[in-house]
Amino acid sequence: MSEIIVDDLRFSYPPLQRGGEPVPVLTGVELQVEGGEFLSIMGGTGVGKTTLCLALNGTVPQSTGGRFGGDVVVAGLNTKEHPVALLASQVGIVFQDAESQLFNMTVEDEVAFGLESLGVPRAEMRERVEWALSAVEMAPHRHRSPFHLSGGQKQRVAIAAMLAMLPRILVLDEPTSGLDPAGKAEVFRVISRLRHNQQMTIVLVEQEGEKIAEFSDRVAVLHEGQIALIGSPADVFSQVDLLHEMGVTVPQVSELANLLNRHKGTRHVFTTLDDARQALALALKIAPTGRATRQSLESAGYPRGAPPVATGSSAELHQGPVTTNKLNPQTLNRGSPCIQVRHLWYRYNGESDAVRSISLDVEEGDFVAIIGQNGSGKTTLVKHFNGLLKPTRGTVQVYGQDTADLSIGQLARQVGYVFQNPDHQIFSPTVRQEIAFGPQNLGLTGDEVDRRVAEALARFHLAAHADAPPALLGYGLRRKVGVAAVYAMRPRVFILDEPTAGLDWRGVQELMSLLSDMNAEGHTILLVTHDMRIVAKHARRTVVLHEGKVLADGNTRAVFKRTDWLTRARIEPPQIVQLARQLALSGVGMPTDVLTVEAFCDAYGAHLTGQGVLHEL
Amino acid sequence: MSFSFDLYVTHRSWLHRVDPRAKLAFVALGTVALLLFKNLWVMLAALVALHALVLSAGVPRDRVVWVWRAMLPLNLLIPALWVIFYPEGDQVLLRFWFVRVTALSVMRGLALALRLNAIAFVWFSWLFTTDQATLVRSLVKLGLPYEWGLVLALGLRYIPTFYGLFGVVTDAQQSRGLDLSEGRWLARLRAYLPILVAMMISALRTSEKLGMALEARALGLPGVQRTAFREISFRLLDYVYLAVVLTLFATLAFLRWRHGFGVHPLYLLAGW
Repeated sequence: MSEIIVDDLRFSYPPLQRGGEPVPVLTGVELQVEGGEFLSIMGGTGVGKTTLCLALNGTVPQSTGGRFGGDVVVAGLNTKEHPVALLASQVGIVFQDAESQLFNMTVEDEVAFGLESLGVPRAEMRERVEWALSAVEMAPHRHRSPFHLSGGQKQRVAIAAMLAMLPRILVLDEPTSGLDPAGKAEVFRVISRLRHNQQMTIVLVEQEGEKIAEFSDRVAVLHEGQIALIGSPADVFSQVDLLHEMGVTVPQVSELANLLNRHKGTRHVFTTLDDARQALALALKIAPTGRATRQSLESAGYPRGAPPVATGSSAELHQGPVTTNKLNPQTLNRGSPCIQVRHLWYRYNGESDAVRSISLDVEEGDFVAIIGQNGSGKTTLVKHFNGLLKPTRGTVQVYGQDTADLSIGQLARQVGYVFQNPDHQIFSPTVRQEIAFGPQNLGLTGDEVDRRVAEALARFHLAAHADAPPALLGYGLRRKVGVAAVYAMRPRVFILDEPTAGLDWRGVQELMSLLSDMNAEGHTILLVTHDMRIVAKHARRTVVLHEGKVLADGNTRAVFKRTDWLTRARIEPPQIVQLARQLALSGVGMPTDVLTVEAFCDAYGAHLTGQGVLHEL
Repeated sequence: MSFSFDLYVTHRSWLHRVDPRAKLAFVALGTVALLLFKNLWVMLAALVALHALVLSAGVPRDRVVWVWRAMLPLNLLIPALWVIFYPEGDQVLLRFWFVRVTALSVMRGLALALRLNAIAFVWFSWLFTTDQATLVRSLVKLGLPYEWGLVLALGLRYIPTFYGLFGVVTDAQQSRGLDLSEGRWLARLRAYLPILVAMMISALRTSEKLGMALEARALGLPGVQRTAFREISFRLLDYVYLAVVLTLFATLAFLRWRHGFGVHPLYLLAGW
C-alpha cells in the first residue's frame, strides 16, 4: 500500500469575514506517494500547497475548521480518524516560518520537545536528540537559543526536531524560502542526505525548480485546486510554457531547452546544469569539426529525421521583454548622483561594525542590485538612504542634502522604502486606505490623495480589491499592496528589500515589469535581493557586499564574470551564467558574459550558424 | 540586532549547578528575612554577602552594575520621600520650608532603599544562574500544571521576538512618512496605532502558526504520560545549600524575635 494516499481531497477554509462564503482551495486532489519516494510539489502562490501539507497531518481540517471532503490516508492512518498529535508521530512537518516553529529556549530542548510529547524515556531521548542534531550538523550549537541562530541553522533545527520523532513521512513546506544563498545551500545539503534514507518518504514543497530537479523522484504541480501535472522532473520541466502559465518557476536550463527547441528546432530536455552542459558541449564540439554523425546529433538533442536548422534570427529572439543588460552604463545618459555615500561606518549598539567604510554614488535613473549574504550589510547600507539609520561615521547625501540633518519623514518624499514582509506594514481596513496612508503623511489631502490612490490602484492592478481588507488578501496581493503604498508617495528613488521573496513566477514577472516601467520613466531602483536571476536580467549595476564592505561594484555583466568575487561572497550566479562559463572554459568558443536565457540562445545560435556546419548536414 | 530578555548568565558555577528549587527556597526565605529587618547595618551586611554570592557564581561585574543602575531611581526616590513625609527623632539636620530633615529618618530611608536592593539581588541570584527552561521545569516539578509552565515558557521565549517585530514595524511605518515625534501625548499615542495594529496582525499570524507547530510536535498526545528531557534532582550540593539557607533563616528569625535584633534603623540591638 502507498505511504500517502490522497483521494479526491476537497477543502474550503471557513469564511474570512462574518457572513462570507467558505474559501475553496483544494477541489479534488488525487495523489499517491510510495514508501521511500521523494516527491516535490510546486505551484503558484496561493494555490493551496501549504493546505495540502497541513492535510497530510490532519491539521486541515482538525485545527483549521472548514469544509473537508475525500480521504487522506498517511502511513495507513486516515486523518479523519486520528488526532493531529497522534498523526504527528508518523508525519513530521517542517514549516516555512522559522520564528513560529522554534519555541524553546535551547536547540536541544527544541529537538527534545516532540519526544517528551511522545513519552520517550530520557535515556533514549538523549540518543535520539544526539542523532538528529548530528544529522543536520547542529550538534555543536545544542546549548544556543534558536532565536540567535541564522536562518539556515533555524531550519536545520526544525528538521532535526521532526527527525528525532522518527516519522515515516517528512513534509517540508518551502523550508528555504526567505533564506540567503548560503542558508539555502545548508538546508539543501541536509535534505539531499535525507533523500538517501530509504526508510523515509519525503514531500517537499518548493519554489526553486533547480533544486527540485536535482532531488526529486517525481514532481507534482498543483493548479486550481488539483494536481495538474505529475511525473519525473524531465517530464514536468519539459513543459515550460504550461508551467509558466501556472506560475511555476522552472530551472533556467529548462527554459533554455524550451527556447532552443522553439528557435533551433532541437528536442532538448534539460533539468540540471549537468544535462545542459553535456548536451550543448557535444553539439558545439561536433559542429566545427564537421564530422558529426546523425547519431551524435541525436544524442545532442536534435530530432531524428529532419536536419537541424538554425531558425530564428537574433532580432526575433530579443522581442518581448527587452533584456536591460544590453544597456551599458557607459552608453546611458547618466544623471547626477542622487545618493552619495562617503566612508560610511555603522555599528549597532554593542555589536561589531555592520558597515565598514563604504563609499559609493547612485546615479539618478539607474537600476542597481545590492547582493551578498545575510549579515553582509546590505540592509544596514540601504537603511541609510531613507534616514532609518544615521551614519556612525562618514556621510550619506540624498540629492545633495546630508541625511543627518533630515528626518525620515522629509526623506520619505524622495526615497521610498518597501520592506521585505508586507505584513510588517499592513494595518488599514481597506486597500484604498492602506495606499492613502503614505500620501496623507506627506501632508496631502482630498483630491490629490484620491488621485494618487487611484493611479496606484490602476498601475498595480489592485482596483478590484480596493475595498477589501488588505490583511486578508493572498500573499502575492499583499506584496503588491505594500509596493503600491510606497509608490503612491511618488518617491524618485525606490528601495525594495527582497521584493520577489515568496512570489511565484507570474508574480515575479509582473512585479519586475512594473519596476522596469518605473525605471524607464526615470525612477531610480535599488534592489536588495538574493534572486540572481532577476539581478542578471534587470539590474544594470550590481554591488556585492561582503562583511560590511563593497567587494565588487560595477556593470552587472562585469560583476558576474568575476567568479572569484562571487565565490568569496558565497554567491551562486544563475544557471545560464554558469553554463556559458563552463562551456567557454571547455573551449567551445562561447562568450563568457551571457546573462539571460535569451542572450545565451542568441550566442549559441550565432556560434552554430557561424560554423555553417549544421546547414550542410 | 539581537536582543534578549533572558537574564541568564551562561556559566557553570556552583550556584548554576544548585537545583532551581533549592534556589527558589532561598529567594522566598531571603525575601521574608530581609523584610523582617529595618537596620542599616544589617542591610549593608546582607548586600556584601549577596555580592559575594553573585560574584562567586561568575556573574560579570557589569551585570552587577546593571542591577544598581536599574535600581537607581528607587534608591533616590525612597529615601527622599521618607525624609520628607516621615520625619522622626529630635536630631534635626536641616530645615527648609515645611521639610524637617532628621537623622533618624535619613537612616531609615537609606535602610529601606538598601533593603530593596538586597531583595533585588536575592532574586537576581536566582535569575542570573537559572536558564529559563530549567526555571520553568522546576516550577512544573513543584506542582505548576505543565500547560501553565508551557505558556510561561512561550511568553518568555517570544518577548524578544515581539520586541524585534516592534522595531521592524516601526521602521516600515516611518518609511511611509509616519511621524512619531510630533504633537502632544494623545497625538503621539494615535501615531502608534499603525504600528500596534500591524504588530497585532503579525502576532496573530505567528500565534496561529505556533499552534500548528505545537501540534506537529505531538503536544497533548492522548494516553501518553509526558516525559522530560531535562533532569533536575536533589543532590548533595542542593541539600547542603538548603540546609545553610534554613539555618541562616532560623538564626536570623530567632535573633529578631528574641532579642529585637536589627529592628532599629541605626542600632543593631534595641536599647543600645
